Amino acid sequence: MWSVVKSVLAALLGVQNDRQRQQDFSNGKPVAFIITAVVVTMMFVLLLAGIAIYAAG
Amino acid sequence: MRLPWQWLLTITSVASLSQAHASSWNMPVGVTDTSRNIFGLHMTIFWVCVVIGVIVFGVMFYSLFRYRHSKGAKAARFHEHTSVEVLWTAIPILILVGMAVPATATLKNMYDASEADLDIMITGQQWRWRYEYLGEDIAYTSNLSTTREQIRGESERDEHYLLDVDEPLVLPINRKVRFLMTSDDVIHSWWVPELAVKQDTIPGFINENWVQINEPGIYRGQCAELCGVNHGFMPIVVHAMEEAEFETWLEERKEAAEQEAMGVDREWAIEELMARGEEVYQSICSSCHQGEGQGAPPAFPALAGNEQLINELDWHLDRVINGVSGAAMPAFRNTLNPVEIAAVVTYTRNAWGNETGDTVQPATVAERIAQ
Ligand code: HEC
Ligand SMILES: [Cu+2]
Repeated sequence: MWSVVKSVLAALLGVQNDRQRQQDFSNGKPVAFIITAVVVTMMFVLLLAGIAIYAAG
Repeated sequence: MRLPWQWLLTITSVASLSQAHASSWNMPVGVTDTSRNIFGLHMTIFWVCVVIGVIVFGVMFYSLFRYRHSKGAKAARFHEHTSVEVLWTAIPILILVGMAVPATATLKNMYDASEADLDIMITGQQWRWRYEYLGEDIAYTSNLSTTREQIRGESERDEHYLLDVDEPLVLPINRKVRFLMTSDDVIHSWWVPELAVKQDTIPGFINENWVQINEPGIYRGQCAELCGVNHGFMPIVVHAMEEAEFETWLEERKEAAEQEAMGVDREWAIEELMARGEEVYQSICSSCHQGEGQGAPPAFPALAGNEQLINELDWHLDRVINGVSGAAMPAFRNTLNPVEIAAVVTYTRNAWGNETGDTVQPATVAERIAQ
Protein backbone atom coordinates (compact mmCIF):
# COMPACT_ATOMS: atom_id res chain seq x y z
CA MET A 1 0.00 0.00 0.00
CA TRP A 2 2.62 2.52 1.09
CA SER A 3 4.76 1.64 -1.89
CA VAL A 4 1.81 2.36 -4.21
CA VAL A 5 1.34 5.81 -2.67
CA LYS A 6 5.05 6.46 -2.92
CA SER A 7 5.06 5.53 -6.59
CA VAL A 8 2.06 7.75 -7.31
CA LEU A 9 3.71 10.71 -5.54
CA ALA A 10 6.90 10.04 -7.50
CA ALA A 11 4.83 10.10 -10.72
CA LEU A 12 3.32 13.43 -9.66
CA LEU A 13 6.81 14.86 -9.36
CA GLY A 14 7.94 13.08 -12.51
CA VAL A 15 10.93 11.31 -11.00
CA GLN A 16 11.17 7.57 -10.31
CA ASN A 17 14.06 5.13 -9.95
CA ASP A 18 14.30 2.07 -12.13
CA ARG A 19 14.33 -0.51 -9.31
CA GLN A 20 11.01 0.69 -7.97
CA ARG A 21 9.56 0.85 -11.46
CA GLN A 22 10.48 -2.76 -12.21
CA GLN A 23 8.93 -3.82 -8.92
CA ASP A 24 5.68 -1.90 -9.57
CA PHE A 25 5.32 -3.41 -13.00
CA SER A 26 5.92 -6.99 -11.87
CA ASN A 27 3.99 -7.05 -8.57
CA GLY A 28 1.51 -4.16 -8.57
CA LYS A 29 -2.12 -4.17 -9.72
CA PRO A 30 -3.08 -1.40 -12.19
CA VAL A 31 -6.39 -0.72 -10.41
CA ALA A 32 -4.59 0.14 -7.17
CA PHE A 33 -2.44 2.71 -8.97
CA ILE A 34 -5.36 4.24 -10.84
CA ILE A 35 -7.51 4.66 -7.74
CA THR A 36 -4.64 6.03 -5.67
CA ALA A 37 -3.70 8.43 -8.48
CA VAL A 38 -7.27 9.75 -8.77
CA VAL A 39 -7.45 10.31 -5.00
CA VAL A 40 -4.03 11.97 -4.85
CA THR A 41 -4.89 14.23 -7.81
CA MET A 42 -8.12 15.28 -6.15
CA MET A 43 -6.28 16.03 -2.93
CA PHE A 44 -3.76 18.09 -4.90
CA VAL A 45 -6.54 20.10 -6.58
CA LEU A 46 -8.23 20.67 -3.21
CA LEU A 47 -4.91 21.79 -1.73
CA LEU A 48 -4.42 24.34 -4.52
CA ALA A 49 -8.03 25.53 -4.23
CA GLY A 50 -7.53 25.88 -0.47
CA ILE A 51 -4.41 28.00 -0.95
CA ALA A 52 -6.20 30.15 -3.54
CA ILE A 53 -9.22 30.69 -1.30
CA TYR A 54 -6.98 31.50 1.65
CA ALA A 55 -4.90 33.95 -0.46
CA ALA A 56 -8.03 35.65 -1.81
CA GLY A 57 -8.98 36.23 1.82
CA MET B 1 38.23 43.47 -31.64
CA ARG B 2 36.74 44.08 -28.27
CA LEU B 3 38.28 42.36 -25.33
CA PRO B 4 36.03 40.17 -23.19
CA TRP B 5 36.01 42.65 -20.33
CA GLN B 6 34.89 45.41 -22.71
CA TRP B 7 31.97 43.29 -23.77
CA LEU B 8 31.11 42.69 -20.16
CA LEU B 9 31.16 46.43 -19.52
CA THR B 10 28.82 47.09 -22.45
CA ILE B 11 26.42 44.40 -21.32
CA THR B 12 26.29 45.60 -17.72
CA SER B 13 25.83 49.24 -18.71
CA VAL B 14 22.96 48.34 -21.05
CA ALA B 15 21.49 46.21 -18.29
CA SER B 16 21.67 48.92 -15.64
CA LEU B 17 20.13 51.39 -18.07
CA SER B 18 17.12 49.21 -18.65
CA GLN B 19 16.81 48.76 -14.92
CA ALA B 20 16.87 52.48 -14.16
CA HIS B 21 14.40 53.79 -16.76
CA ALA B 22 11.93 52.64 -19.25
CA SER B 23 14.13 52.81 -22.27
CA SER B 24 12.63 52.85 -25.72
CA TRP B 25 12.71 49.07 -25.98
CA ASN B 26 11.24 48.33 -22.58
CA MET B 27 7.75 48.80 -21.16
CA PRO B 28 7.16 52.13 -19.38
CA VAL B 29 7.64 52.37 -15.61
CA GLY B 30 4.42 54.35 -15.50
CA VAL B 31 2.98 56.75 -12.95
CA THR B 32 0.91 54.56 -10.62
CA ASP B 33 1.95 52.17 -7.86
CA THR B 34 0.43 49.35 -9.87
CA SER B 35 2.42 50.19 -13.00
CA ARG B 36 5.60 50.36 -10.89
CA ASN B 37 4.84 46.99 -9.32
CA ILE B 38 4.27 45.50 -12.74
CA PHE B 39 7.50 46.99 -14.05
CA GLY B 40 9.36 45.70 -10.99
CA LEU B 41 7.96 42.21 -11.46
CA HIS B 42 8.82 42.32 -15.13
CA MET B 43 12.43 43.26 -14.41
CA THR B 44 12.79 40.74 -11.56
CA ILE B 45 11.50 37.93 -13.70
CA PHE B 46 13.63 39.10 -16.58
CA TRP B 47 16.78 38.86 -14.43
CA VAL B 48 15.75 35.46 -13.06
CA CYS B 49 15.48 34.30 -16.68
CA VAL B 50 18.83 35.85 -17.54
CA VAL B 51 20.59 34.08 -14.66
CA ILE B 52 18.97 30.73 -15.50
CA GLY B 53 19.77 31.20 -19.18
CA VAL B 54 23.42 32.01 -18.48
CA ILE B 55 23.83 29.00 -16.18
CA VAL B 56 22.02 26.50 -18.41
CA PHE B 57 23.56 27.62 -21.69
CA GLY B 58 26.94 28.11 -19.99
CA VAL B 59 27.00 24.49 -18.78
CA MET B 60 25.71 23.29 -22.13
CA PHE B 61 28.23 25.14 -24.30
CA TYR B 62 31.07 24.36 -21.92
CA SER B 63 30.24 20.65 -22.09
CA LEU B 64 29.88 20.71 -25.85
CA PHE B 65 33.29 22.27 -26.16
CA ARG B 66 35.15 20.46 -23.41
CA TYR B 67 33.90 16.96 -24.21
CA ARG B 68 33.97 17.18 -27.96
CA HIS B 69 34.32 14.16 -30.18
CA SER B 70 37.63 15.23 -31.70
CA LYS B 71 39.22 15.04 -28.25
CA GLY B 72 38.06 11.46 -27.91
CA ALA B 73 35.16 12.05 -25.51
CA LYS B 74 32.93 9.01 -24.93
CA ALA B 75 29.27 9.34 -23.95
CA ALA B 76 28.49 8.15 -20.44
CA ARG B 77 25.85 5.42 -20.29
CA PHE B 78 23.90 5.44 -17.07
CA HIS B 79 20.17 5.20 -16.54
CA GLU B 80 19.26 7.50 -13.74
CA HIS B 81 20.37 9.63 -10.86
CA THR B 82 17.41 10.12 -8.58
CA SER B 83 18.82 12.83 -6.32
CA VAL B 84 19.94 15.02 -9.24
CA GLU B 85 16.55 14.55 -10.90
CA VAL B 86 14.72 15.51 -7.72
CA LEU B 87 16.96 18.55 -7.39
CA TRP B 88 16.34 19.82 -10.91
CA THR B 89 12.62 19.35 -10.43
CA ALA B 90 12.49 20.98 -7.01
CA ILE B 91 14.55 24.07 -7.90
CA PRO B 92 12.24 25.21 -10.75
CA ILE B 93 9.23 24.62 -8.49
CA LEU B 94 10.76 26.89 -5.86
CA ILE B 95 11.63 29.53 -8.46
CA LEU B 96 8.13 29.44 -9.94
CA VAL B 97 6.40 29.67 -6.57
CA GLY B 98 8.83 32.42 -5.59
CA MET B 99 7.77 34.43 -8.65
CA ALA B 100 4.10 33.58 -8.28
CA VAL B 101 3.78 35.01 -4.77
CA PRO B 102 4.55 38.70 -5.58
CA ALA B 103 2.83 38.39 -8.98
CA THR B 104 -0.38 37.13 -7.37
CA ALA B 105 -0.25 39.84 -4.72
CA THR B 106 0.00 42.50 -7.45
CA LEU B 107 -2.81 40.93 -9.45
CA LYS B 108 -5.04 40.76 -6.43
CA ASN B 109 -4.45 44.42 -5.74
CA MET B 110 -5.19 45.30 -9.39
CA TYR B 111 -8.59 43.65 -9.16
CA ASP B 112 -9.59 45.42 -5.97
CA ALA B 113 -11.60 48.35 -7.31
CA SER B 114 -13.44 48.88 -4.02
CA GLU B 115 -13.48 52.09 -1.98
CA ALA B 116 -12.87 54.47 -4.85
CA ASP B 117 -13.12 58.25 -4.40
CA LEU B 118 -14.46 58.84 -7.89
CA ASP B 119 -16.39 56.68 -10.36
CA ILE B 120 -16.08 57.19 -14.08
CA MET B 121 -18.03 55.36 -16.74
CA ILE B 122 -15.98 54.81 -19.87
CA THR B 123 -17.91 53.85 -22.99
CA GLY B 124 -16.32 52.81 -26.26
CA GLN B 125 -18.13 53.92 -29.40
CA GLN B 126 -17.26 53.66 -33.06
CA TRP B 127 -14.93 55.63 -32.97
CA ARG B 128 -14.52 57.73 -29.88
CA TRP B 129 -14.57 57.45 -26.11
CA ARG B 130 -17.26 58.76 -23.84
CA TYR B 131 -16.55 59.69 -20.23
CA GLU B 132 -19.21 60.10 -17.60
CA TYR B 133 -18.39 61.33 -14.10
CA LEU B 134 -20.95 59.41 -12.11
CA GLY B 135 -22.80 61.49 -9.55
CA GLU B 136 -21.33 64.72 -10.94
CA ASP B 137 -23.62 65.34 -13.92
CA ILE B 138 -20.68 65.59 -16.24
CA ALA B 139 -20.43 63.58 -19.44
CA TYR B 140 -18.71 64.21 -22.71
CA THR B 141 -17.16 62.47 -25.68
CA SER B 142 -13.51 62.65 -26.50
CA ASN B 143 -12.74 62.77 -30.23
CA LEU B 144 -9.60 62.59 -32.29
CA SER B 145 -8.35 66.11 -32.98
CA THR B 146 -5.62 65.37 -35.50
CA THR B 147 -6.63 67.22 -38.66
CA ARG B 148 -7.69 65.52 -41.88
CA GLU B 149 -4.90 67.35 -43.73
CA GLN B 150 -2.34 65.64 -41.50
CA ILE B 151 -3.95 62.25 -42.00
CA ARG B 152 -3.95 62.69 -45.78
CA GLY B 153 -0.34 63.85 -45.64
CA GLU B 154 -1.25 67.32 -46.93
CA SER B 155 0.26 69.07 -43.96
CA GLU B 156 3.07 68.26 -41.60
CA ARG B 157 2.30 65.72 -38.89
CA ASP B 158 2.71 67.03 -35.39
CA GLU B 159 4.32 65.36 -32.41
CA HIS B 160 1.12 63.75 -31.19
CA TYR B 161 -0.12 62.63 -34.58
CA LEU B 162 -3.24 60.44 -34.04
CA LEU B 163 -2.70 60.69 -30.28
CA ASP B 164 -4.53 63.95 -29.63
CA VAL B 165 -8.15 64.58 -28.68
CA ASP B 166 -10.44 67.57 -28.34
CA GLU B 167 -11.30 66.85 -24.69
CA PRO B 168 -9.07 64.63 -22.58
CA LEU B 169 -10.22 62.56 -19.64
CA VAL B 170 -9.37 64.72 -16.62
CA LEU B 171 -8.39 62.95 -13.40
CA PRO B 172 -7.10 64.04 -10.01
CA ILE B 173 -3.80 62.65 -8.76
CA ASN B 174 -3.51 60.79 -5.42
CA ARG B 175 -7.12 59.63 -5.51
CA LYS B 176 -8.44 56.21 -6.27
CA VAL B 177 -10.52 56.46 -9.43
CA ARG B 178 -12.71 53.56 -10.42
CA PHE B 179 -13.52 52.94 -14.07
CA LEU B 180 -16.73 51.20 -15.13
CA MET B 181 -16.13 50.20 -18.71
CA THR B 182 -18.53 49.21 -21.43
CA SER B 183 -19.27 49.70 -25.11
CA ASP B 184 -22.21 50.85 -27.23
CA ASP B 185 -21.39 48.83 -30.31
CA VAL B 186 -18.45 46.45 -30.71
CA ILE B 187 -15.60 45.44 -28.41
CA HIS B 188 -13.02 48.16 -27.85
CA SER B 189 -10.13 48.24 -25.41
CA TRP B 190 -9.11 51.22 -23.31
CA TRP B 191 -5.33 51.16 -23.09
CA VAL B 192 -2.99 53.70 -21.47
CA PRO B 193 0.46 52.14 -20.96
CA GLU B 194 1.67 54.72 -18.40
CA LEU B 195 -1.31 53.86 -16.17
CA ALA B 196 -0.93 50.10 -16.68
CA VAL B 197 -4.60 49.86 -17.66
CA LYS B 198 -5.68 47.85 -20.66
CA GLN B 199 -9.27 46.76 -20.34
CA ASP B 200 -11.70 45.49 -22.95
CA THR B 201 -14.98 47.37 -23.18
CA ILE B 202 -17.71 44.94 -24.16
CA PRO B 203 -21.29 45.75 -25.17
CA GLY B 204 -23.68 44.46 -22.49
CA PHE B 205 -20.96 44.00 -19.88
CA ILE B 206 -19.45 46.35 -17.36
CA ASN B 207 -15.81 45.74 -16.56
CA GLU B 208 -14.11 47.37 -13.61
CA ASN B 209 -10.65 48.77 -13.27
CA TRP B 210 -9.00 51.51 -11.25
CA VAL B 211 -6.06 53.89 -11.13
CA GLN B 212 -4.40 56.08 -8.59
CA ILE B 213 -2.02 58.39 -10.38
CA ASN B 214 1.04 59.71 -8.54
CA GLU B 215 2.25 62.42 -10.89
CA PRO B 216 0.40 65.15 -12.77
CA GLY B 217 0.85 65.03 -16.51
CA ILE B 218 -0.60 64.05 -19.88
CA TYR B 219 -0.75 60.34 -20.62
CA ARG B 220 -1.69 58.96 -24.01
CA GLY B 221 -3.08 55.69 -25.24
CA GLN B 222 -5.12 54.03 -27.95
CA CYS B 223 -7.95 51.63 -28.56
CA ALA B 224 -6.34 48.20 -28.41
CA GLU B 225 -9.06 46.04 -29.91
CA LEU B 226 -9.66 46.10 -33.66
CA CYS B 227 -13.09 47.75 -33.88
CA GLY B 228 -13.69 48.82 -37.45
CA VAL B 229 -12.26 51.16 -40.09
CA ASN B 230 -11.43 54.01 -37.72
CA HIS B 231 -9.92 51.84 -35.00
CA GLY B 232 -6.68 53.78 -35.36
CA PHE B 233 -8.50 57.09 -34.92
CA MET B 234 -9.88 56.85 -31.38
CA PRO B 235 -6.95 57.71 -29.12
CA ILE B 236 -7.09 58.28 -25.38
CA VAL B 237 -5.61 61.26 -23.59
CA VAL B 238 -5.61 61.45 -19.80
CA HIS B 239 -4.84 64.76 -18.14
CA ALA B 240 -3.89 64.16 -14.50
CA MET B 241 -4.09 67.26 -12.29
CA GLU B 242 -3.38 68.30 -8.73
CA GLU B 243 -6.47 67.77 -6.62
CA ALA B 244 -7.26 71.49 -6.16
CA GLU B 245 -6.92 72.11 -9.88
CA PHE B 246 -9.21 69.15 -10.54
CA GLU B 247 -11.88 70.56 -8.22
CA THR B 248 -11.78 73.85 -10.12
CA TRP B 249 -12.09 72.02 -13.42
CA LEU B 250 -15.04 70.04 -12.08
CA GLU B 251 -16.84 73.23 -11.03
CA GLU B 252 -16.23 74.85 -14.40
CA ARG B 253 -17.50 71.80 -16.20
CA LYS B 254 -20.64 71.72 -14.10
CA GLU B 255 -21.31 75.39 -14.76
CA ALA B 256 -20.83 74.88 -18.48
CA ALA B 257 -23.30 71.99 -18.35
CA GLU B 258 -25.83 74.21 -16.59
CA GLN B 259 -25.36 76.94 -19.16
CA GLU B 260 -25.90 74.37 -21.85
CA ALA B 261 -29.07 73.16 -20.12
CA MET B 262 -30.36 76.73 -20.02
CA GLY B 263 -29.61 77.00 -23.73
CA VAL B 264 -32.33 74.43 -24.33
CA ASP B 265 -35.04 76.86 -23.35
CA ARG B 266 -34.10 79.80 -25.47
CA GLU B 267 -34.63 80.46 -29.14
CA TRP B 268 -31.49 79.92 -31.23
CA ALA B 269 -30.62 81.89 -34.37
CA ILE B 270 -29.79 79.89 -37.49
CA GLU B 271 -26.19 81.20 -37.59
CA GLU B 272 -25.58 79.96 -34.04
CA LEU B 273 -27.06 76.58 -34.82
CA MET B 274 -25.04 76.28 -38.03
CA ALA B 275 -21.75 77.13 -36.30
CA ARG B 276 -22.38 74.70 -33.48
CA GLY B 277 -23.74 72.09 -35.87
CA GLU B 278 -20.64 72.15 -38.00
CA GLU B 279 -18.45 71.45 -34.95
CA VAL B 280 -20.64 68.55 -33.91
CA TYR B 281 -20.84 67.20 -37.44
CA GLN B 282 -17.09 67.28 -38.00
CA SER B 283 -16.23 65.64 -34.70
CA ILE B 284 -19.02 63.03 -34.52
CA CYS B 285 -20.68 62.34 -37.86
CA SER B 286 -17.97 62.91 -40.46
CA SER B 287 -16.16 59.65 -39.73
CA CYS B 288 -19.09 57.85 -41.40
CA HIS B 289 -20.95 60.41 -43.50
CA GLN B 290 -17.69 62.09 -44.57
CA GLY B 291 -16.56 65.70 -44.37
CA GLU B 292 -18.82 67.10 -47.08
CA GLY B 293 -21.85 64.93 -46.32
CA GLN B 294 -21.11 62.89 -49.42
CA GLY B 295 -21.24 59.64 -47.43
CA ALA B 296 -19.56 56.41 -48.51
CA PRO B 297 -22.33 54.37 -50.13
CA PRO B 298 -23.40 51.68 -49.78
CA ALA B 299 -22.12 51.54 -46.18
CA PHE B 300 -22.85 55.14 -45.18
CA PRO B 301 -25.58 57.08 -47.04
CA ALA B 302 -24.91 60.57 -48.36
CA LEU B 303 -26.61 63.36 -46.43
CA ALA B 304 -25.85 66.03 -49.03
CA GLY B 305 -28.61 66.02 -51.65
CA ASN B 306 -30.47 63.25 -49.79
CA GLU B 307 -34.10 63.62 -51.04
CA GLN B 308 -35.81 61.97 -48.09
CA LEU B 309 -33.77 64.00 -45.63
CA ILE B 310 -34.57 67.26 -47.39
CA ASN B 311 -38.30 66.51 -47.60
CA GLU B 312 -38.98 64.85 -44.26
CA LEU B 313 -37.82 66.84 -41.25
CA ASP B 314 -39.52 64.53 -38.83
CA TRP B 315 -37.91 61.42 -40.25
CA HIS B 316 -34.53 63.17 -40.22
CA LEU B 317 -34.87 64.05 -36.53
CA ASP B 318 -35.94 60.52 -35.71
CA ARG B 319 -32.87 59.01 -37.42
CA VAL B 320 -30.50 61.16 -35.38
CA ILE B 321 -32.32 60.83 -32.05
CA ASN B 322 -33.11 57.11 -32.23
CA GLY B 323 -30.57 55.80 -34.72
CA VAL B 324 -31.30 52.85 -36.97
CA SER B 325 -31.39 49.63 -35.03
CA GLY B 326 -29.51 46.84 -36.71
CA ALA B 327 -27.46 49.33 -38.76
CA ALA B 328 -24.30 51.27 -37.91
CA MET B 329 -26.23 54.53 -37.36
CA PRO B 330 -26.05 55.15 -33.58
CA ALA B 331 -28.86 56.68 -31.52
CA PHE B 332 -27.67 60.06 -30.25
CA ARG B 333 -30.40 60.68 -27.67
CA ASN B 334 -28.06 59.85 -24.79
CA THR B 335 -24.72 60.85 -26.20
CA LEU B 336 -25.53 64.31 -27.57
CA ASN B 337 -27.54 66.92 -25.71
CA PRO B 338 -30.62 68.62 -27.27
CA VAL B 339 -28.61 71.68 -28.28
CA GLU B 340 -26.10 69.56 -30.13
CA ILE B 341 -28.76 67.48 -31.86
CA ALA B 342 -30.74 70.56 -32.90
CA ALA B 343 -27.56 72.17 -34.17
CA VAL B 344 -26.34 69.20 -36.17
CA VAL B 345 -29.76 68.59 -37.72
CA THR B 346 -30.06 72.26 -38.67
CA TYR B 347 -26.57 72.11 -40.08
CA THR B 348 -27.22 69.03 -42.23
CA ARG B 349 -30.43 70.59 -43.52
CA ASN B 350 -28.63 73.72 -44.70
CA ALA B 351 -25.10 72.68 -45.63
CA TRP B 352 -23.64 71.34 -48.89
CA GLY B 353 -26.50 72.60 -51.04
CA ASN B 354 -29.27 71.21 -48.78
CA GLU B 355 -31.01 74.57 -48.77
CA THR B 356 -34.15 73.88 -46.79
CA GLY B 357 -33.86 77.00 -44.63
CA ASP B 358 -35.23 74.94 -41.69
CA THR B 359 -34.09 75.52 -38.15
CA VAL B 360 -34.66 73.00 -35.40
CA GLN B 361 -34.81 74.44 -31.91
CA PRO B 362 -33.22 72.63 -28.94
CA ALA B 363 -36.56 72.80 -27.09
CA THR B 364 -38.24 70.79 -29.87
CA VAL B 365 -35.55 68.14 -29.64
CA ALA B 366 -35.80 67.99 -25.85
CA GLU B 367 -39.54 67.41 -26.18
CA ARG B 368 -39.05 64.61 -28.73
CA ILE B 369 -36.52 62.91 -26.50
CA ALA B 370 -38.84 63.15 -23.49
CA GLN B 371 -41.70 61.43 -25.38
C1 HEC C 1 -20.80 54.79 -37.10
C2 HEC C 1 -21.19 55.39 -38.32
C3 HEC C 1 -22.19 56.56 -38.27
C4 HEC C 1 -22.09 57.72 -37.54
C5 HEC C 1 -21.01 58.13 -36.56
C6 HEC C 1 -23.25 58.50 -37.91
N1 HEC C 1 -24.01 57.82 -38.81
FE1 HEC C 1 -25.74 58.50 -39.65
N2 HEC C 1 -25.95 56.72 -40.60
C7 HEC C 1 -25.07 55.67 -40.59
C8 HEC C 1 -25.60 54.57 -41.36
C9 HEC C 1 -24.94 53.23 -41.59
C10 HEC C 1 -26.85 55.00 -41.84
C11 HEC C 1 -27.84 54.20 -42.69
C12 HEC C 1 -28.77 53.46 -41.76
C13 HEC C 1 -29.76 52.59 -42.51
O1 HEC C 1 -29.39 51.48 -42.85
O2 HEC C 1 -30.88 53.10 -42.73
C14 HEC C 1 -27.04 56.35 -41.36
C15 HEC C 1 -28.16 57.12 -41.64
C16 HEC C 1 -28.31 58.42 -41.27
C17 HEC C 1 -29.40 59.27 -41.64
C18 HEC C 1 -30.54 58.83 -42.52
C19 HEC C 1 -30.10 58.96 -43.95
C20 HEC C 1 -30.64 57.90 -44.87
O3 HEC C 1 -30.67 58.17 -46.07
O4 HEC C 1 -30.97 56.79 -44.38
C21 HEC C 1 -29.19 60.49 -41.11
C22 HEC C 1 -30.06 61.73 -41.25
C23 HEC C 1 -27.96 60.43 -40.37
N3 HEC C 1 -27.43 59.17 -40.48
C24 HEC C 1 -27.41 61.48 -39.67
C25 HEC C 1 -26.28 61.36 -38.87
C26 HEC C 1 -25.80 62.41 -38.02
C27 HEC C 1 -26.40 63.81 -37.90
C28 HEC C 1 -24.72 61.92 -37.38
C29 HEC C 1 -23.85 62.64 -36.32
C30 HEC C 1 -24.53 63.18 -35.16
C31 HEC C 1 -24.52 60.58 -37.83
N4 HEC C 1 -25.49 60.26 -38.73
C32 HEC C 1 -23.50 59.77 -37.40
C33 HEC C 1 -23.86 55.64 -39.92
C34 HEC C 1 -23.40 56.63 -39.05
CU1 LIG D 1 -12.14 50.84 -30.66
